Amino acid sequence: MSEASATVMNLPRRDAQDKLRGRTKYTNDRARPDMLHAVLLRSTVPAGRIVRLDASPALACPGVRAVATGADAPGLYGIGITDHPLLAIDTIRYHGEPIAVVAAETEEQARSALAAIILEIEPLAPVLTMAEALEPSARLIHEDWRGYEVITEGGARTGNIAWEAKSSRGDVDAAFARPDVRIVESSFSVGRQSHVPFEPRVAIGSWEDGRAHIQTSTQVPWTVRNVTGRVMQLPPGRVRVTVPPVGGGFGLKFDASIEPITALLARMTGRSVMLENTRQEEMATCLCRENAEIRIRSAVTAEGEIVGREAVVLMDCGAYGGEQVFLTTMTAHTLGGNYRVGATRLVSRAVYTNTPPNGAFRACNGVYNTFALERHTDEICDFLGFDPMEFRKKNVLGDGDLGPTGQVFEDDVLGPMLDRMETLRAKTGTLEAKADGRLYGMATTVGTWFVFTGPSAATVNLNADGSATLVTSGVEIGSGTMMQSLPQIVAGQLGLSPDQVIVREADTDAAGLDVGVGGGRTTVSIGAASISACAEVKEKLLRAAGEMLQTRPEDLVLQGGRVEISGRPGSGTTIPAVVAHAQASTGPITGSGAFTAKNTPAMAGCAMGHFIDALDIPVFVVHEAEVAVDPDTGHVEVLAYRVVQDVGRALNPRAVMGQIQGGVVQGLGYALHEEVTITADGRIAQDDFETYRLPLAGDVVPVVADLYEGAPSLGPLGAKGAGEVPILAVGAAIACAVSRAIGKPVRQLPLTPPRVLRLLHDREPQPDFPHIAPGWATNTLG
Amino acid sequence: MTVTFRLNGEDYRFRDDPMTPLVDILRQERFLTGTKAVCREGFCGACTVHVDAEAVPSCLKPVGLLEGCEVVTIEGLSAGHQALHPLQAAFEAADAVQCGMCFPGMVMSLSAFMRDNPDASRADIKAAMVGNICRCTGYERIVDTVADCLAQQLHTAKVAGGAGV
Amino acid sequence: MAQSMERSFIAAGSIEEAVASRMVGAVVLAGGTWLMRDPLRGVELPEAVVTLHRIPFLSEVIIDADHMVIGAGVTHEALGKALRGIAGFEALVGAAEGAANPGIRRVATIGGNLCSIDFAEADLAPALLACGAAVELETTSGAKRIDIADFLNDRRALLEQAILTKILLRRDLIASAHIRLPLRKAGDYPVAIVSMALDADKCCRIAVGSVEPVARRWTALEQAFAGEPGGFPRDAERAAALAAEHNDFQGRDGTEAEGWYRLQVLPVLVKRGVAALRATEGLA
Repeated sequence: MSEASATVMNLPRRDAQDKLRGRTKYTNDRARPDMLHAVLLRSTVPAGRIVRLDASPALACPGVRAVATGADAPGLYGIGITDHPLLAIDTIRYHGEPIAVVAAETEEQARSALAAIILEIEPLAPVLTMAEALEPSARLIHEDWRGYEVITEGGARTGNIAWEAKSSRGDVDAAFARPDVRIVESSFSVGRQSHVPFEPRVAIGSWEDGRAHIQTSTQVPWTVRNVTGRVMQLPPGRVRVTVPPVGGGFGLKFDASIEPITALLARMTGRSVMLENTRQEEMATCLCRENAEIRIRSAVTAEGEIVGREAVVLMDCGAYGGEQVFLTTMTAHTLGGNYRVGATRLVSRAVYTNTPPNGAFRACNGVYNTFALERHTDEICDFLGFDPMEFRKKNVLGDGDLGPTGQVFEDDVLGPMLDRMETLRAKTGTLEAKADGRLYGMATTVGTWFVFTGPSAATVNLNADGSATLVTSGVEIGSGTMMQSLPQIVAGQLGLSPDQVIVREADTDAAGLDVGVGGGRTTVSIGAASISACAEVKEKLLRAAGEMLQTRPEDLVLQGGRVEISGRPGSGTTIPAVVAHAQASTGPITGSGAFTAKNTPAMAGCAMGHFIDALDIPVFVVHEAEVAVDPDTGHVEVLAYRVVQDVGRALNPRAVMGQIQGGVVQGLGYALHEEVTITADGRIAQDDFETYRLPLAGDVVPVVADLYEGAPSLGPLGAKGAGEVPILAVGAAIACAVSRAIGKPVRQLPLTPPRVLRLLHDREPQPDFPHIAPGWATNTLG
Repeated sequence: MTVTFRLNGEDYRFRDDPMTPLVDILRQERFLTGTKAVCREGFCGACTVHVDAEAVPSCLKPVGLLEGCEVVTIEGLSAGHQALHPLQAAFEAADAVQCGMCFPGMVMSLSAFMRDNPDASRADIKAAMVGNICRCTGYERIVDTVADCLAQQLHTAKVAGGAGV
Repeated sequence: MAQSMERSFIAAGSIEEAVASRMVGAVVLAGGTWLMRDPLRGVELPEAVVTLHRIPFLSEVIIDADHMVIGAGVTHEALGKALRGIAGFEALVGAAEGAANPGIRRVATIGGNLCSIDFAEADLAPALLACGAAVELETTSGAKRIDIADFLNDRRALLEQAILTKILLRRDLIASAHIRLPLRKAGDYPVAIVSMALDADKCCRIAVGSVEPVARRWTALEQAFAGEPGGFPRDAERAAALAAEHNDFQGRDGTEAEGWYRLQVLPVLVKRGVAALRATEGLA
């Protein structure tokens, strides 16, 4: 049996039955009668100075066991730069910012005690938009920005610009000055997207043997460990993080947030303390997909060659830099992806505002940059008279083409995927007839994403009953990776069946470093670390079996729970027998493995302020949407949706299909329904399920998908992460299809019925960014 | 105030504020955490339970209205070693579950729906799911599974009918 | 969870007992789907509550040859089931079966829907306006009947001293329609609602919900319809044109939609309503 055929299968999930019976204990199901409950005092103004804060009167309230303020955990944390206090210290930077916390015997007692806290805030005029924040006279949201510790060198920053990343390749001015080009410029703006995991952010802290133990609903146990250490000014090794099953993450839980507060209170009280966001808090302080503003210009010849391109992307990081600092990197790979371009220069800036901080969300940055790039591409085609499909076929990235940072792409992937989409469409047919008098549009778009590689560790213990225990810091957030691809990979390596592979829940005390579940990386990075651990196990196992069977280890194979002599099925002995022999002779059989990024190089001087200069594993998609638009109400109905996705190799095709359906539907929410707006007092206006409209069953269609296998990947068995990318090009495909249907340029998302109707009536103001200077270089920090 | 009702087949007596939502009693007093409190205002369906055999959101149900009622939660639908409800078994077999937090509510809503609407169409199934939000799956596999389950149910009924049972 | 304070919770056995409780300040609890959301919005639950679920007649739907009486405690689901297939009441069925979501419809009552004063999007209000309903209130001085429109406008004061008990309808309609426009296919509160009903004399009542804070009749459009040759617009397109011409609403600005949008979609909702009336009634 080949390695692939022993691994690839539609393995069902082992956690499904308990989840279906309601027996699975997520973090927020683990409240016990002896736990304390913590409640946060949050700011009700978007900006201000704390003039007076005295939390001690709350201690006198019934049931209260501890109170804490920023003074109790003064360390700052952040990504790239440390600008974020756990609880506000002196300055209020957003509406909803935690200022103090109370732990009491019951949640009601803690909530009632908040009123006893003495708090005086001198309000300041908030800086709510990026346009305001970038005004030369704008108030600095972080007055002490120069004093922050820089964790990652290389980014330019100043004042309200938390971080700037640039890429530049070739002579862009010369390309735009060519006499044979025409220049197309487009501006786009997008709002935020709220993740709405069904389990909100929640943590339970306890203090055990002088160390913090945090159980939490997170995607990043090691980040929680390190941030807790940092803010509490403890060595991170004094913090243990374990992760029960997670009720959805989608990127929201890719950063630490409230977890360290529980550790702080546990240390103060000696009790276990639970802190769970209410739904309103969860939505009002969601680390949303950021709102962004994009201006892009391209120089294109009459033959349809893109000889020059430049763009400015402004990303609202909200009150603290957070993930957006890192994500400025991604513009080069998303807005700079998809197409072969001559000279390119792109700048991406994370801008502070007095709004709730933003964060990571499935295909961060890529979703709106793909929308902008694909709509811009359609505007190029409109302006210059190209057929959009032919233009894409001619210009998509192929073997040997250069990305904006000078990365060399390998193999032709997007071109053949576009052909596969046409084949798929021929098979499914189109649904124009279902438009039934409404405005019909269809569009095919492409997208470029990646697998976020980075460090992972794995240990595999082979047990005397023939089972294997896989110990990693991987977290099951719902995508199934820990339930499906990882046990499949380990079983395939060791000749076991996947149900013989026990998968340990994440525990930073048990497993080595992992950068977390996100960026489509778990199957690839933890999978590769697991394969490396299995190699050590296999080597030990075959050596022991060789002794027992008096055969050279290289003549032995593992399959069906047995060690057999190659080419002689049924020969040899069982794995348990070999393990028992090894345990008695050389000791238990274990293996450990590690993986990290390959760090694919960029061209010298092309990438500045980037956390990732080039993509180790690019991932491509082709998405096609058919829509019908009601000209009287602006409602967009999705008639059909088709996907061709580059999966490298699908280890569990049925699970991949489930990720594609779910990811596309989240994208439909972003494209059509889910709207976040900021009120005049800096709040997120949509903080409940009435006003934040998630797609419901009636709003979606079955996605027809074709898995494109065989593109290069350094993942295990050639796999790529498949769960993150399905959302990537949905905003793009829907926007292009709607634009064609209504015959108007679509430059904003989401396309709610009111917005579409305004577009149809020419009442929708088109994005115009006076704060983005006409000259590209003026928008950079030199 | 005291309220007495049946909970998963046993008498349960609650003595406290009659305006307490049922979901809080289930989760905090009885540790029946399969009922999920997600939006707490009747939009998401994750807290759906059966009250007198009807699927209703437990977040908006003050316990004072439950005197003498029969309440069944997800834990009561297939308790202990009892076999899964056919819909639960079908969801498991179809690999429909992802994060899983909406599924107890989905199962409670849709099991009652299947009982009352054996001939439901795909559109009927989607209409029945308006109050059950799923953030992970994109719904279609859930709809497929219910449709398959209904077809199976009809087939079984026909075979049983044909055998004169 | 449960507060330790002793809350007064009266499951009234008779309407008189319920009214007496109301007179001393108890808040009426119907299905609970509106009231129970209050704590999430920082509004404390009332200290005294009176429930009506033990009063049998409030849960009855009585249909005779000329009239219909709907108890205020009838749920949306029960109402839809009771009226399905009864000619003329398609609008009420549409409202009862389209509101909110199935779980809520099994719990939320018609009385609760009409008594939630801040609920501009209530589906049953415009449907009952179009169907020409009256309501009966129970007061300490006995039952009192008023027109639904007066009730909707004055309910804040009326309900201080009274409890809504019945909705009364004449069976003189030949067709009605309830056209709601949520932003998704379903599941959100409609941003605009048009309900229309036609009686045997071709007299058409039209009501609009969710566009203004309180649902109201669209009398300007009713008159315009009546002024058409034959007393009714010749087709749905003509109806839409009249609606555009006589649009005298002040659209609410809300998080989900601005007033302009609510006004802009009214003509097409009228068009759909007229098309539905014609289809129901076989005028086409």
